[in-house]
Amino acid sequence: MNISRTRLNLACLFACLVLYATGLVASNTMAGSLPMTLASPEEFAGIADAKARSLALFDEIGKVLASPRCMNCHSANDRPRQGDSGRLHQPPVFRGPDGMGLPAMRCPICHLASNFDPARMPGNKPWLMAPREMVWEGKSLSQICVQMRDPELNGGKSLADLVHHIGDDKLVGWGWNPGIGRTPAPGTQEQAKALVQAWVDTGAACP
Amino acid sequence: MSAITLKINGKNIGPIEVREDLSMNDFLREVLGMTGTKFGCGAAQCLSCAVIVDDADGTSATMPTCTAPATSFDGKSIRTVEGHASNGQLTALQEAFIRHFAFQCGYCTAGFLNEAQVLLESLEHQPVSREALEQTILEALDGHLCRCTGYVRYHEAVRDVILSEPARYLL
Repeated sequence: MNISRTRLNLACLFACLVLYATGLVASNTMAGSLPMTLASPEEFAGIADAKARSLALFDEIGKVLASPRCMNCHSANDRPRQGDSGRLHQPPVFRGPDGMGLPAMRCPICHLASNFDPARMPGNKPWLMAPREMVWEGKSLSQICVQMRDPELNGGKSLADLVHHIGDDKLVGWGWNPGIGRTPAPGTQEQAKALVQAWVDTGAACP
Repeated sequence: MSAITLKINGKNIGPIEVREDLSMNDFLREVLGMTGTKFGCGAAQCLSCAVIVDDADGTSATMPTCTAPATSFDGKSIRTVEGHASNGQLTALQEAFIRHFAFQCGYCTAGFLNEAQVLLESLEHQPVSREALEQTILEALDGHLCRCTGYVRYHEAVRDVILSEPARYLL
């Protein structure tokens, strides 16, 4: 009886260790898979061909666009996502007529003017979903590029507007200051702005 | 530390020094001892912690307190579950909740009560048709979780109150 119990205890201990180790690997893989840095436009100066340089610049910008900090609000089906894994937002909230939720579940009810880390609640004023014209979820970087570049598809934004949106918008800037438990977008907002400006200056080529 | 002043159920509170990382829920429950406001999920997902915030423009909305710093309520006027009944006299909404046995454990009741009260006040300003009423109630109570699954009874209780005074709440 005692030997069986000892074996059972050892088996449980082993199972717990395996589960713990698996969890550690999984969490490290999640955090490690997200890029943390951005190259500067100067690092692409060696590419002589302007179109090739523009494509390379957009590829670098893509690291920001694919960040969960951007993608979670540029999500499809009028549902925002959350976390580094991009799970559907809980509680279940919906876009609403102005991108700020339905009447009884408005975004600013929970998302205040700044992050409140003790409750892991992200915040910025304003807090809202990206417009339907700028849904990126499920699209390739190439499709996102075409969508971003074309005012017919991006809600009427010019290329200069895009530089301003990514480089100066306060809500976009939150992506680099997302509070505890969320991986920031790679690099800095200033670096991202410089990359978008350089992409525009080289012809805004799309892959 | 920051000093906050606010109005709760019509009574001026403060100035009281609070830490920046103190949640409004802890402020109500631990500092003021107002335990009618519950702490549920701690992530603004169940809304058992919701209180009514009265804006200066005369509109009101519920807001969770578990994920908001107490400092964000500085200067605001709020209502909690303790402010509904007056001199021991329950409101029509509270009586309807009891009549319908809407709650069992009661943990979610403060949040539902506050949300339903906001709905009633909203309907007084913007009444809806009888046909739109069910959807209106559904959407208003949508964010609140009841682990005893009293949703239907809460819905029926709110509907009863509205239908008891159609001229006040309906087109």
